[in-house]
Amino acid sequence: MAEGLEVLLLDDEPIVGKRLKPALAKIGCNVEVFEDPKKALERIDQKEFDIVVTDIRMDEVDGLQVLEHVRQSSERTKVIMITGYAMMAVAREAMEKGAFDFIAKPFKPDDLRKVIAKAAKELGSNIQFEISETDGS
Amino acid sequence: MSIILISSDHYETGRAVAQQVAEATDYALLDREILGEVASASQIPEPKIRKSLEPSSSTVGFSSKVRNRALASIQAAVMARLLDDKVVCHGLAAHLYVLGVSHVLKIRILTNVDERASRIASERRVGIEKARKILKKQEAAGKRWSLDVFGQDETNPSQYDIVISLSQIDPDEAANAIVETVSYRKFQSMTYSIKCLRDKELSIRVRLALMEKYNDVDVTADGATVVVRTKALRREKRKKAESIRTLASQIPGVSYVEVHAVRDIFREAAESA
Repeated sequence: MAEGLEVLLLDDEPIVGKRLKPALAKIGCNVEVFEDPKKALERIDQKEFDIVVTDIRMDEVDGLQVLEHVRQSSERTKVIMITGYAMMAVAREAMEKGAFDFIAKPFKPDDLRKVIAKAAKELGSNIQFEISETDGS
Repeated sequence: MSIILISSDHYETGRAVAQQVAEATDYALLDREILGEVASASQIPEPKIRKSLEPSSSTVGFSSKVRNRALASIQAAVMARLLDDKVVCHGLAAHLYVLGVSHVLKIRILTNVDERASRIASERRVGIEKARKILKKQEAAGKRWSLDVFGQDETNPSQYDIVISLSQIDPDEAANAIVETVSYRKFQSMTYSIKCLRDKELSIRVRLALMEKYNDVDVTADGATVVVRTKALRREKRKKAESIRTLASQIPGVSYVEVHAVRDIFREAAESA
Protein backbone atom coordinates (compact mmCIF):
# COMPACT_ATOMS: atom_id res chain seq x y z
CA MET A 1 0.00 0.00 0.00
CA ALA A 2 1.12 3.55 -0.64
CA GLU A 3 1.71 5.69 2.39
CA GLY A 4 -0.57 8.68 2.16
CA LEU A 5 -0.93 9.24 -1.57
CA GLU A 6 -2.95 12.47 -1.58
CA VAL A 7 -5.82 12.48 -4.05
CA LEU A 8 -8.38 15.17 -4.80
CA LEU A 9 -11.49 13.83 -6.51
CA LEU A 10 -13.81 16.32 -8.20
CA ASP A 11 -17.13 15.39 -9.77
CA ASP A 12 -20.40 17.29 -9.58
CA GLU A 13 -22.32 14.03 -9.36
CA PRO A 14 -22.23 13.02 -5.66
CA ILE A 15 -22.51 9.32 -6.49
CA VAL A 16 -19.10 9.34 -8.21
CA GLY A 17 -17.22 10.54 -5.14
CA LYS A 18 -19.26 8.29 -2.90
CA ARG A 19 -18.34 5.21 -4.92
CA LEU A 20 -14.75 6.03 -5.80
CA LYS A 21 -13.52 7.30 -2.43
CA PRO A 22 -13.64 3.88 -0.73
CA ALA A 23 -12.28 2.21 -3.89
CA LEU A 24 -9.21 4.43 -3.85
CA ALA A 25 -8.84 4.24 -0.08
CA LYS A 26 -8.42 0.48 -0.51
CA ILE A 27 -5.16 1.05 -2.40
CA GLY A 28 -3.84 3.50 0.15
CA CYS A 29 -5.03 6.86 -1.14
CA ASN A 30 -6.18 9.66 1.13
CA VAL A 31 -9.06 11.04 -0.86
CA GLU A 32 -10.70 14.45 -0.54
CA VAL A 33 -13.94 14.60 -2.49
CA PHE A 34 -15.41 17.77 -3.98
CA GLU A 35 -18.59 18.40 -5.93
CA ASP A 36 -18.08 22.13 -6.35
CA PRO A 37 -15.17 22.95 -8.71
CA LYS A 38 -14.61 26.37 -7.14
CA LYS A 39 -14.10 24.84 -3.72
CA ALA A 40 -11.81 22.26 -5.29
CA LEU A 41 -9.69 25.02 -6.85
CA GLU A 42 -9.45 26.75 -3.48
CA ARG A 43 -8.24 23.52 -1.93
CA ILE A 44 -5.72 22.99 -4.74
CA ASP A 45 -4.30 26.43 -3.94
CA GLN A 46 -3.88 25.42 -0.31
CA LYS A 47 -2.39 21.98 -0.78
CA GLU A 48 -0.24 20.19 -3.35
CA PHE A 49 -2.00 16.92 -4.17
CA ASP A 50 -0.22 13.96 -5.72
CA ILE A 51 -3.16 13.23 -7.96
CA VAL A 52 -6.22 15.19 -9.04
CA VAL A 53 -9.09 13.26 -10.60
CA THR A 54 -11.59 15.58 -12.24
CA ASP A 55 -14.75 15.34 -14.26
CA ILE A 56 -14.70 17.45 -17.43
CA ARG A 57 -18.21 18.70 -17.92
CA MET A 58 -19.26 20.76 -14.91
CA ASP A 59 -21.08 24.07 -14.45
CA GLU A 60 -19.10 27.28 -14.06
CA VAL A 61 -15.64 25.69 -14.09
CA ASP A 62 -14.94 22.73 -16.36
CA GLY A 63 -12.34 20.02 -15.97
CA LEU A 64 -9.99 21.51 -18.53
CA GLN A 65 -9.88 24.72 -16.50
CA VAL A 66 -9.15 22.67 -13.40
CA LEU A 67 -6.35 20.97 -15.32
CA GLU A 68 -4.86 24.32 -16.35
CA HIS A 69 -5.12 25.56 -12.77
CA VAL A 70 -3.30 22.51 -11.44
CA ARG A 71 -0.61 22.80 -14.10
CA GLN A 72 0.05 26.39 -13.03
CA SER A 73 0.26 25.54 -9.36
CA SER A 74 2.14 22.23 -9.47
CA GLU A 75 4.22 20.48 -12.12
CA ARG A 76 4.33 17.32 -10.06
CA THR A 77 0.60 16.70 -9.64
CA LYS A 78 -0.85 14.12 -12.00
CA VAL A 79 -4.26 15.04 -13.38
CA ILE A 80 -6.65 12.33 -14.49
CA MET A 81 -9.67 13.40 -16.51
CA ILE A 82 -12.95 11.48 -16.36
CA THR A 83 -15.96 12.18 -18.54
CA GLY A 84 -19.23 10.82 -19.76
CA TYR A 85 -18.85 12.88 -22.94
CA ALA A 86 -15.58 11.50 -24.25
CA MET A 87 -14.63 12.64 -27.71
CA MET A 88 -11.38 12.55 -29.62
CA ALA A 89 -10.96 16.34 -29.74
CA VAL A 90 -11.46 16.77 -25.99
CA ALA A 91 -9.16 13.85 -25.21
CA ARG A 92 -6.42 15.37 -27.38
CA GLU A 93 -6.92 18.80 -25.84
CA ALA A 94 -6.66 17.37 -22.34
CA MET A 95 -3.47 15.49 -23.17
CA GLU A 96 -1.95 18.54 -24.84
CA LYS A 97 -2.72 20.60 -21.74
CA GLY A 98 -0.86 18.10 -19.61
CA ALA A 99 -3.39 15.53 -18.39
CA PHE A 100 -1.83 12.32 -17.19
CA ASP A 101 -4.68 10.19 -18.49
CA PHE A 102 -8.22 10.36 -19.75
CA ILE A 103 -10.96 7.87 -18.91
CA ALA A 104 -14.44 7.64 -20.37
CA LYS A 105 -17.39 7.00 -18.07
CA PRO A 106 -18.77 4.58 -17.23
CA PHE A 107 -15.71 2.81 -15.90
CA LYS A 108 -15.06 0.26 -13.20
CA PRO A 109 -13.25 1.30 -10.02
CA ASP A 110 -10.45 -1.04 -11.11
CA ASP A 111 -9.94 1.02 -14.29
CA LEU A 112 -9.27 4.11 -12.21
CA ARG A 113 -7.17 2.19 -9.72
CA LYS A 114 -4.93 0.99 -12.56
CA VAL A 115 -4.40 4.57 -13.73
CA ILE A 116 -3.78 5.75 -10.16
CA ALA A 117 -1.21 2.97 -9.78
CA LYS A 118 0.55 4.12 -12.97
CA ALA A 119 0.55 7.70 -11.75
CA ALA A 120 1.85 6.62 -8.36
CA LYS A 121 4.68 4.76 -10.06
CA GLU A 122 5.69 7.90 -11.94
CA LEU A 123 5.57 9.82 -8.69
CA GLY A 124 7.93 7.30 -7.15
CA SER A 125 5.25 5.91 -4.89
CA ASN A 126 4.35 2.27 -4.79
CA ILE A 127 0.81 1.02 -4.96
CA GLN A 128 0.11 -2.67 -4.76
CA PHE A 129 -2.17 -2.94 -7.70
CA GLU A 130 -1.42 -5.23 -10.56
CA ILE A 131 -1.05 -3.53 -13.96
CA SER A 132 -0.94 -5.97 -16.81
CA GLU A 133 1.31 -5.28 -19.80
CA THR A 134 -1.63 -4.55 -22.06
CA ASP A 135 -2.93 -1.89 -19.70
CA GLY A 136 0.15 0.18 -19.97
CA SER A 137 0.35 3.02 -22.41
CA MET B 1 2.79 5.67 -27.56
CA SER B 2 1.11 6.33 -30.88
CA ILE B 3 0.02 4.92 -34.20
CA ILE B 4 0.67 6.62 -37.53
CA LEU B 5 -1.65 5.95 -40.47
CA ILE B 6 -0.34 7.07 -43.81
CA SER B 7 -2.42 7.06 -46.94
CA SER B 8 -1.55 8.45 -50.32
CA ASP B 9 -2.92 8.92 -53.81
CA HIS B 10 0.06 6.84 -54.99
CA TYR B 11 0.91 3.57 -53.24
CA GLU B 12 4.69 3.51 -53.81
CA THR B 13 5.15 7.12 -52.69
CA GLY B 14 3.08 6.60 -49.54
CA ARG B 15 5.04 3.44 -48.82
CA ALA B 16 8.39 5.20 -49.17
CA VAL B 17 7.37 7.91 -46.69
CA ALA B 18 5.92 5.30 -44.32
CA GLN B 19 9.20 3.38 -44.41
CA GLN B 20 11.19 6.48 -43.60
CA VAL B 21 8.87 7.36 -40.71
CA ALA B 22 9.02 3.82 -39.34
CA GLU B 23 12.82 3.88 -39.39
CA ALA B 24 13.03 7.30 -37.74
CA THR B 25 10.57 6.45 -34.98
CA ASP B 26 11.59 2.81 -34.56
CA TYR B 27 7.96 1.83 -35.05
CA ALA B 28 6.92 -1.35 -36.86
CA LEU B 29 5.84 -0.90 -40.47
CA LEU B 30 2.52 -2.51 -41.29
CA ASP B 31 1.81 -2.73 -45.01
CA ARG B 32 0.55 -5.17 -47.63
CA GLU B 33 3.04 -7.86 -46.56
CA ILE B 34 0.35 -9.05 -44.14
CA LEU B 35 -2.05 -9.87 -46.97
CA GLY B 36 -0.58 -13.35 -47.37
CA GLU B 37 -1.44 -14.10 -43.76
CA VAL B 38 -4.87 -12.57 -44.24
CA ALA B 39 -5.43 -14.83 -47.24
CA SER B 40 -4.46 -17.95 -45.28
CA ALA B 41 -6.61 -17.03 -42.30
CA SER B 42 -9.65 -16.12 -44.40
CA GLN B 43 -9.19 -18.83 -47.05
CA ILE B 44 -9.74 -16.21 -49.71
CA PRO B 45 -7.07 -16.29 -52.45
CA GLU B 46 -4.45 -13.58 -51.99
CA PRO B 47 -5.09 -11.96 -55.41
CA LYS B 48 -8.70 -11.39 -54.35
CA ILE B 49 -7.60 -9.98 -51.01
CA ARG B 50 -5.31 -7.56 -52.88
CA LYS B 51 -8.01 -6.74 -55.40
CA SER B 52 -10.41 -5.76 -52.62
CA LEU B 53 -8.08 -2.82 -51.85
CA GLU B 54 -7.94 -1.63 -55.45
CA PRO B 55 -10.57 1.01 -56.17
CA SER B 56 -10.21 0.91 -59.91
CA SER B 57 -10.12 -2.84 -60.38
CA SER B 58 -12.86 -4.68 -62.18
CA THR B 59 -15.40 -6.45 -60.01
CA VAL B 60 -15.97 -9.17 -62.56
CA GLY B 61 -15.78 -12.56 -60.88
CA PHE B 62 -15.62 -10.90 -57.49
CA SER B 63 -18.88 -10.93 -55.59
CA SER B 64 -19.59 -8.17 -53.11
CA LYS B 65 -19.93 -10.86 -50.45
CA VAL B 66 -16.35 -12.03 -51.03
CA ARG B 67 -15.06 -8.48 -51.31
CA ASN B 68 -16.73 -7.53 -48.02
CA ARG B 69 -15.31 -10.58 -46.29
CA ALA B 70 -11.85 -9.87 -47.74
CA LEU B 71 -11.96 -6.30 -46.46
CA ALA B 72 -13.26 -7.39 -43.06
CA SER B 73 -10.43 -9.92 -42.86
CA ILE B 74 -7.89 -7.18 -43.63
CA GLN B 75 -9.47 -4.92 -41.03
CA ALA B 76 -9.38 -7.63 -38.38
CA ALA B 77 -5.70 -8.32 -39.05
CA VAL B 78 -4.81 -4.63 -39.05
CA MET B 79 -6.73 -3.86 -35.87
CA ALA B 80 -5.04 -6.73 -34.07
CA ARG B 81 -1.61 -5.34 -35.05
CA LEU B 82 -2.54 -1.78 -34.10
CA LEU B 83 -3.24 -2.92 -30.55
CA ASP B 84 0.50 -3.54 -30.27
CA ASP B 85 1.04 0.24 -30.55
CA LYS B 86 4.09 1.92 -32.11
CA VAL B 87 3.01 1.09 -35.63
CA VAL B 88 3.22 2.94 -38.93
CA CYS B 89 0.42 1.58 -41.09
CA HIS B 90 0.17 2.14 -44.81
CA GLY B 91 -1.59 0.66 -47.82
CA LEU B 92 -4.33 -1.17 -45.93
CA ALA B 93 -7.08 1.46 -46.06
CA ALA B 94 -6.88 1.86 -42.28
CA HIS B 95 -7.53 5.60 -42.64
CA LEU B 96 -11.07 4.66 -43.61
CA TYR B 97 -11.94 2.42 -40.67
CA VAL B 98 -9.76 3.54 -37.78
CA LEU B 99 -11.80 6.57 -36.84
CA GLY B 100 -12.04 8.62 -33.67
CA VAL B 101 -8.97 7.20 -31.92
CA SER B 102 -7.02 10.09 -30.43
CA HIS B 103 -3.57 8.46 -30.45
CA VAL B 104 -3.82 7.68 -34.16
CA LEU B 105 -2.12 10.33 -36.28
CA LYS B 106 -3.62 10.32 -39.76
CA ILE B 107 -1.59 11.57 -42.67
CA ARG B 108 -2.53 12.04 -46.31
CA ILE B 109 0.32 12.30 -48.78
CA LEU B 110 -0.54 13.94 -52.08
CA THR B 111 1.96 13.32 -54.83
CA ASN B 112 2.97 15.78 -57.50
CA VAL B 113 0.24 15.57 -60.13
CA ASP B 114 2.50 16.66 -62.99
CA GLU B 115 5.11 14.01 -62.17
CA ARG B 116 2.46 11.33 -61.93
CA ALA B 117 0.88 12.40 -65.20
CA SER B 118 4.29 12.27 -66.91
CA ARG B 119 4.92 8.81 -65.48
CA ILE B 120 1.54 7.55 -66.71
CA ALA B 121 2.14 9.15 -70.11
CA SER B 122 5.43 7.34 -70.54
CA GLU B 123 4.24 4.01 -69.06
CA ARG B 124 1.10 3.85 -71.16
CA ARG B 125 2.51 5.72 -74.12
CA VAL B 126 -0.24 8.33 -74.14
CA GLY B 127 -0.20 12.11 -74.35
CA ILE B 128 0.02 14.23 -71.21
CA GLU B 129 -3.61 15.36 -71.46
CA LYS B 130 -4.79 11.79 -71.70
CA ALA B 131 -2.60 10.93 -68.70
CA ARG B 132 -4.21 13.74 -66.69
CA LYS B 133 -7.65 12.37 -67.54
CA ILE B 134 -6.56 8.92 -66.36
CA LEU B 135 -5.38 10.46 -63.07
CA LYS B 136 -8.70 12.23 -62.58
CA LYS B 137 -10.52 8.99 -63.24
CA GLN B 138 -8.35 7.20 -60.69
CA GLU B 139 -9.06 9.85 -58.08
CA ALA B 140 -12.80 9.67 -58.74
CA ALA B 141 -12.65 5.87 -58.49
CA GLY B 142 -10.84 6.13 -55.14
CA LYS B 143 -13.41 8.52 -53.80
CA ARG B 144 -16.29 6.33 -55.00
CA TRP B 145 -14.71 3.19 -53.57
CA SER B 146 -14.03 4.73 -50.15
CA LEU B 147 -17.60 6.01 -49.96
CA ASP B 148 -19.14 2.75 -51.20
CA VAL B 149 -17.17 0.45 -48.96
CA PHE B 150 -16.52 2.46 -45.80
CA GLY B 151 -18.86 5.44 -46.07
CA GLN B 152 -15.84 7.77 -45.92
CA ASP B 153 -14.52 10.11 -48.60
CA GLU B 154 -10.78 9.57 -48.67
CA THR B 155 -10.25 12.72 -50.68
CA ASN B 156 -11.79 14.88 -47.92
CA PRO B 157 -8.92 16.64 -46.11
CA SER B 158 -10.89 16.88 -42.86
CA GLN B 159 -10.43 13.10 -42.49
CA TYR B 160 -6.76 13.69 -41.70
CA ASP B 161 -4.62 15.39 -39.09
CA ILE B 162 -2.15 16.49 -41.74
CA VAL B 163 -2.30 16.62 -45.53
CA ILE B 164 1.12 16.95 -47.16
CA SER B 165 1.56 17.89 -50.78
CA LEU B 166 4.79 16.57 -52.22
CA SER B 167 4.65 19.16 -54.96
CA GLN B 168 5.93 21.64 -52.36
CA ILE B 169 7.73 19.47 -49.81
CA ASP B 170 10.11 16.62 -50.56
CA PRO B 171 9.52 13.18 -49.02
CA ASP B 172 12.35 13.56 -46.49
CA GLU B 173 10.85 16.77 -45.16
CA ALA B 174 7.41 15.15 -45.08
CA ALA B 175 8.78 12.25 -43.02
CA ASN B 176 10.48 14.67 -40.62
CA ALA B 177 7.28 16.65 -40.17
CA ILE B 178 5.37 13.46 -39.37
CA VAL B 179 7.99 12.31 -36.87
CA GLU B 180 7.89 15.66 -35.11
CA THR B 181 4.09 15.81 -35.02
CA VAL B 182 3.66 12.35 -33.55
CA SER B 183 5.72 13.42 -30.56
CA TYR B 184 3.02 15.88 -29.49
CA ARG B 185 1.30 14.80 -26.29
CA LYS B 186 -2.12 14.91 -27.94
CA PHE B 187 -1.15 11.87 -30.01
CA GLN B 188 -0.06 9.80 -27.02
CA SER B 189 -2.23 6.87 -26.04
CA MET B 190 -4.45 7.06 -22.97
CA THR B 191 -6.94 4.78 -21.27
CA TYR B 192 -9.81 6.17 -23.34
CA SER B 193 -8.09 5.91 -26.72
CA ILE B 194 -6.81 2.41 -26.03
CA LYS B 195 -10.36 1.39 -25.13
CA CYS B 196 -11.64 2.92 -28.38
CA LEU B 197 -9.14 0.84 -30.33
CA ARG B 198 -9.95 -2.35 -28.42
CA ASP B 199 -13.65 -1.81 -28.99
CA LYS B 200 -13.04 -1.43 -32.71
CA GLU B 201 -10.86 -4.53 -32.79
CA LEU B 202 -13.50 -6.60 -31.02
CA SER B 203 -16.33 -5.32 -33.20
CA ILE B 204 -14.55 -6.21 -36.45
CA ARG B 205 -13.58 -9.62 -35.08
CA VAL B 206 -17.23 -10.31 -34.22
CA ARG B 207 -18.41 -8.97 -37.57
CA LEU B 208 -15.96 -11.18 -39.41
CA ALA B 209 -17.11 -14.25 -37.49
CA LEU B 210 -20.75 -13.47 -38.19
CA MET B 211 -20.08 -12.82 -41.88
CA GLU B 212 -19.52 -16.54 -42.39
CA LYS B 213 -23.27 -16.83 -42.02
CA TYR B 214 -24.68 -13.30 -42.17
CA ASN B 215 -23.32 -10.68 -44.53
CA ASP B 216 -25.61 -7.86 -43.43
CA VAL B 217 -24.50 -7.19 -39.88
CA ASP B 218 -23.27 -4.02 -38.27
CA VAL B 219 -21.38 -4.53 -35.03
CA THR B 220 -20.31 -2.15 -32.29
CA ALA B 221 -18.52 -3.06 -29.07
CA ASP B 222 -18.20 -1.36 -25.72
CA GLY B 223 -15.88 -3.28 -23.47
CA ALA B 224 -17.13 -6.86 -23.53
CA THR B 225 -20.62 -5.85 -24.63
CA VAL B 226 -21.41 -6.24 -28.28
CA VAL B 227 -24.38 -4.80 -30.16
CA VAL B 228 -25.27 -6.38 -33.50
CA ARG B 229 -27.68 -4.70 -35.89
CA THR B 230 -29.18 -6.61 -38.74
CA LYS B 231 -32.27 -6.95 -40.91
CA ALA B 232 -34.61 -9.90 -40.99
CA LEU B 233 -38.00 -10.99 -42.22
CA ARG B 234 -40.61 -10.86 -39.49
CA ARG B 235 -40.92 -14.62 -39.35
CA GLU B 236 -37.16 -15.19 -39.02
CA LYS B 237 -36.34 -12.33 -36.66
CA ARG B 238 -36.25 -14.32 -33.45
CA LYS B 239 -34.36 -17.25 -34.93
CA LYS B 240 -31.77 -15.02 -36.60
CA ALA B 241 -31.26 -12.95 -33.46
CA GLU B 242 -30.76 -16.10 -31.40
CA SER B 243 -28.32 -17.54 -33.91
CA ILE B 244 -26.30 -14.30 -33.95
CA ARG B 245 -26.29 -14.17 -30.16
CA THR B 246 -25.01 -17.74 -29.97
CA LEU B 247 -22.27 -17.19 -32.55
CA ALA B 248 -21.10 -13.86 -31.15
CA SER B 249 -21.05 -14.97 -27.54
CA GLN B 250 -18.49 -17.67 -28.43
CA ILE B 251 -15.92 -15.10 -29.51
CA PRO B 252 -13.15 -14.44 -26.99
CA GLY B 253 -13.60 -11.10 -25.27
CA VAL B 254 -17.40 -11.07 -25.58
CA SER B 255 -19.50 -11.41 -22.45
CA TYR B 256 -22.83 -9.93 -23.51
CA VAL B 257 -24.52 -9.72 -26.90
CA GLU B 258 -27.48 -7.56 -27.81
CA VAL B 259 -29.09 -8.09 -31.21
CA HIS B 260 -31.27 -5.48 -32.86
CA ALA B 261 -33.03 -7.06 -35.80
CA VAL B 262 -35.19 -4.66 -37.77
CA ARG B 263 -37.69 -5.75 -40.39
CA ASP B 264 -36.26 -6.17 -43.86
CA ILE B 265 -39.08 -4.38 -45.66
CA PHE B 266 -37.52 -4.75 -49.09
CA ARG B 267 -37.25 -8.52 -48.82
CA GLU B 268 -40.76 -8.69 -47.36
CA ALA B 269 -42.07 -6.61 -50.25
CA ALA B 270 -40.23 -8.78 -52.75
CA GLU B 271 -41.61 -11.96 -51.19
CA SER B 272 -45.18 -10.69 -51.11
CA ALA B 273 -45.09 -9.52 -54.72
